[in-house]
Amino acid sequence: MIRAENLQKRVPMAGGELEILKGISLEIKSGETVAIVGASGSGKSTLLGLLAGLDEGSGGRVVIGDTDLSQLDEDGRAVFRGREVGFVFQSFQLLPALTALENVMLPLELKGQGDAREQASHYLERVELSARTSHYPRQLSGGEQQRVAIARAFAARPAILFADEPTGNLDTRTGAHIIDLLFELNQQEGTTLVLVTHDLQLAQRCQRRLVLEAGELVEGD
Amino acid sequence: MSVTATRMLARDWRGGELGVLVMALILAVGVVSGISAFTTRLQNALEMESHRFLAADAVVRSGREMPAQWLQEAGTAGLDVATTLTFPSMVYAGEDAMQLASIKAVSDAYPLRGELKFSAEPFAAPSVVASGPGRGEVWLDSRLFPLLDVAVGELVQVGEAQLTVRGAVRGEPDQAAGMFGYGPRLLMHYDDIAATRVIQPGSRVEFRQLYAGDSELVAEFMAQLKPRLAPGQRLLDVSDGQPGISRALERAERFLLLAGSLGVVLAGVAIALAARRFSERHNDYVAVMKSLGATSSAINYLYGKSLLLLGALATAAGCLLGWAIQALFFTLFAEQLPVQPGPSGAQPYLVGSATAMVCLLSFAWPPLRRLGQASPLRVLRKDIPLLTRKSAWDYLFGLVAVSLLMLWYSGDWRLTMALLAGLLVTVGLGFVLAMTLLKGGRLVGMSAGSIWRLALAGLQRRGAANALQVVIFAMAIMLLLVLVLVRTSLVDEWQTQLPADAPNHFMINIGPGEVQSVDQLLREENIRSEALYPMIRGRVMAVNGVDLPSPEEAEMDGPRQRETNFTWSDTLPTGNELVAGEWWQPDTDAAVVSLEEEFAQRMGIEVGDTLSMLVGARPLEATVSSLRSLDWQSMRPNFFMVFPPQVLASYPATFMTSFHLEPDNKVFLNHFIREYPTVTVIEMDLVIDQIRGIIEQVSAAIELVLAVILATGALVLIAGVQASVDERLHESSILRALGARRRLILGGLLIEFAALGLFAGLLATAAAELSVAILQTWAMDMQYAPSPWLWPLGLGAGMVLIAGLGVFSCRRVVSHPPVAVLREL
Repeated sequence: MIRAENLQKRVPMAGGELEILKGISLEIKSGETVAIVGASGSGKSTLLGLLAGLDEGSGGRVVIGDTDLSQLDEDGRAVFRGREVGFVFQSFQLLPALTALENVMLPLELKGQGDAREQASHYLERVELSARTSHYPRQLSGGEQQRVAIARAFAARPAILFADEPTGNLDTRTGAHIIDLLFELNQQEGTTLVLVTHDLQLAQRCQRRLVLEAGELVEGD
Repeated sequence: MSVTATRMLARDWRGGELGVLVMALILAVGVVSGISAFTTRLQNALEMESHRFLAADAVVRSGREMPAQWLQEAGTAGLDVATTLTFPSMVYAGEDAMQLASIKAVSDAYPLRGELKFSAEPFAAPSVVASGPGRGEVWLDSRLFPLLDVAVGELVQVGEAQLTVRGAVRGEPDQAAGMFGYGPRLLMHYDDIAATRVIQPGSRVEFRQLYAGDSELVAEFMAQLKPRLAPGQRLLDVSDGQPGISRALERAERFLLLAGSLGVVLAGVAIALAARRFSERHNDYVAVMKSLGATSSAINYLYGKSLLLLGALATAAGCLLGWAIQALFFTLFAEQLPVQPGPSGAQPYLVGSATAMVCLLSFAWPPLRRLGQASPLRVLRKDIPLLTRKSAWDYLFGLVAVSLLMLWYSGDWRLTMALLAGLLVTVGLGFVLAMTLLKGGRLVGMSAGSIWRLALAGLQRRGAANALQVVIFAMAIMLLLVLVLVRTSLVDEWQTQLPADAPNHFMINIGPGEVQSVDQLLREENIRSEALYPMIRGRVMAVNGVDLPSPEEAEMDGPRQRETNFTWSDTLPTGNELVAGEWWQPDTDAAVVSLEEEFAQRMGIEVGDTLSMLVGARPLEATVSSLRSLDWQSMRPNFFMVFPPQVLASYPATFMTSFHLEPDNKVFLNHFIREYPTVTVIEMDLVIDQIRGIIEQVSAAIELVLAVILATGALVLIAGVQASVDERLHESSILRALGARRRLILGGLLIEFAALGLFAGLLATAAAELSVAILQTWAMDMQYAPSPWLWPLGLGAGMVLIAGLGVFSCRRVVSHPPVAVLREL
């Protein structure tokens, strides 16, 4: 379970402080799928970064399971992310130096998992990329790169998957295919899914939608 | 993670990310190990050469017989030994022929090093022989044959011994020792000495014990022997062998060390720049890895390991390059070297490898270490600032590391300080000047209206980054200018020191009656000669009435009774410089004397002291009126002690001069020797040729090293340009996408980079002048003169190089579609 309490984020600016998140409180249950929607600049990505432990808030706290993220330093959060969290990004974020297989192996190797290669192959098979394991990201299409990213995200068997505009860089058809894949795997693995999107169609597929406006949660169903 | 580390390196290598870093490392290691191996081998070769001039590896000499036990001990220790004895004596032949000769008696094993040359007939072609005359035999200097009117097979008498003439001695390895001796050489066997009965207590003789063998054994034995030496017994080592070449080589070595130090600084800067760019470009990778759970320590481990791997590979390649540099040189010049250089050993390569480690730790690691602190949030937001900006500590750390490396490498704090001063001035002034120049006007936008406005806007917009770049370019250009300047003045000085028409022969023992005719003969033959100087052998006995210790009792190199050559002159001799006191008026009859500076220093004599001397058996007193400095390598007649003509007029003198003889005019000597058999001609042309040959080789080595350092400097410039290429490419691509023409963009970039190059050249030239002034006055013992040609060179080179490299590095922006360029960044 993810719990945010009075979560705030302020950044110093030339003319004073800019308040990006103004005290957000929310709860997401285990296995739930939640979409965070809102206009550009409403603070969606900032909220996602805080919930996932990529960033520190200026006030309030995030508790995931029994872990209070605000009590951890960056290295502690890194270990936590490696253990509990998976990511899918708008710009895929594959390492160009590594092949598709090696990209999927990376989080497993970071966890010191001995069967990284087998696990990675298995997940690449599940995203239907068995034939392209030795290809480098630049040799793959956008949709294929995102499928590798999805395989990488699930291979580490995270409890929670955070997705930031996962279809933002893809055409509608490919995007739809990626979404199908994401939800299908999510269901099979029983993962909690939190995604940030503009795409209302995508948001509709989630069990719940949180609407952000100027750093405040205005609607949640 | 290991797969990831090697994979990452391999991919970065293919992507050209590591090119500059690796090349800089390879060059640093190559320069350091190459120069170090080169100087080690050259020193070995010259040491061997010096041994040749001693005819041994080590020599003990004394005016009295030394314990034979030392020779036995040395033999037991596994060394080769020989003995020689030199003394002046009359030699008699036939009815009434007699001649003062310099007798040298040698044992069977002589010479232990170098070559002894012999010919069966006088003046015939010489051949190298293994040992000297047998018992009962003598070899004579070719000149002695006509003087004594003897032929091979006839008898000569030395003291009470009758000895058979076997042939002519044509060359001894240790000939130079006592070359202003007592006339032509007679070489005999050591065991015949007793039969001559000429050696009496108090005789003017020089005993020598010669030792040779494995260098460690020799060193060990000499260390044992040294404390047992009595006063008057002196150990000669290699530095006594050939002082002529040593100064030139010492400077050359310093130059090479300077070049090596500069190479390390330049490579260090290139490494730092490349590592910084590398780490900036890896920021996003690290962010992804961190989002996937990698901790800072895991990231540090990954990059640390990559760096070590890279360092190991580059070190191996660098050692190979260093080996190739010195091997190439020795292959090219092997024939000109007097002896084959020995191996350099592993030391130079260890020095090179250690340099690589220090460079990596102090230049490459700081920016990479900060990768561990990169924010994982960059996976979501590109506007998170990079954390790889250099801190003041990094600069300080790098500066200290560079200083220590230079100090360790050159072993010369003056040289290190001079270069550091130049670097600090460049950095300090550079920032002030660059910021003022670049941030002078108000900040403007893209200003794409014209080429000039675009370029100026670019300069101002990136003010801070440009200032840093100007300083880096200036540092590289300054170091290169310093090297070129020092090299030029070094080679110039060598050339003026030994001009092609420098005297290459000495003529001594010219009788007073022969002075005029010899002088006339030289004129008639169009032979360039120095003035004829009188030469009187005398001995300094006391200073201010206090007796000096005898040579047997004196401390080594301390004040003692000394025999030397006196001369007289009304004017300061050519090439001499007055350093204290005053020169006398012509025709003075005051009892005064002028001393050579270092001689006076060794003897503890100052201006105003009164010296008591003996010339033959006649006493002479004079007050020291001045001290002179002179150049011993000028090949002119040089004297420790010069008197006014009136003071020495009544003493018997012979005369000497030096002259230049062309190689194809050598036949003149045979003709001359027959006409003036009592005059001794000393041929220095072979020695001079040898010195010149070695200097030429060393100059060639310097050029080679200079080329390598220039390559390192070019790397710094490339790394410096690359550091700012991404941002410029980004802006230019946007301009391209908006419709800017090729000419506008390239022209703007050209002007921008040329302006940076101009500022850098200006700074570099000023700092180089300062550095060279300090270096030459302090560290290299040379005269500093400003070089006007340096300014156009520095400014021009800065502009052309930076503009060329800059535009070349950014050429992609006009050759590729803007979208492709933007996607790559």
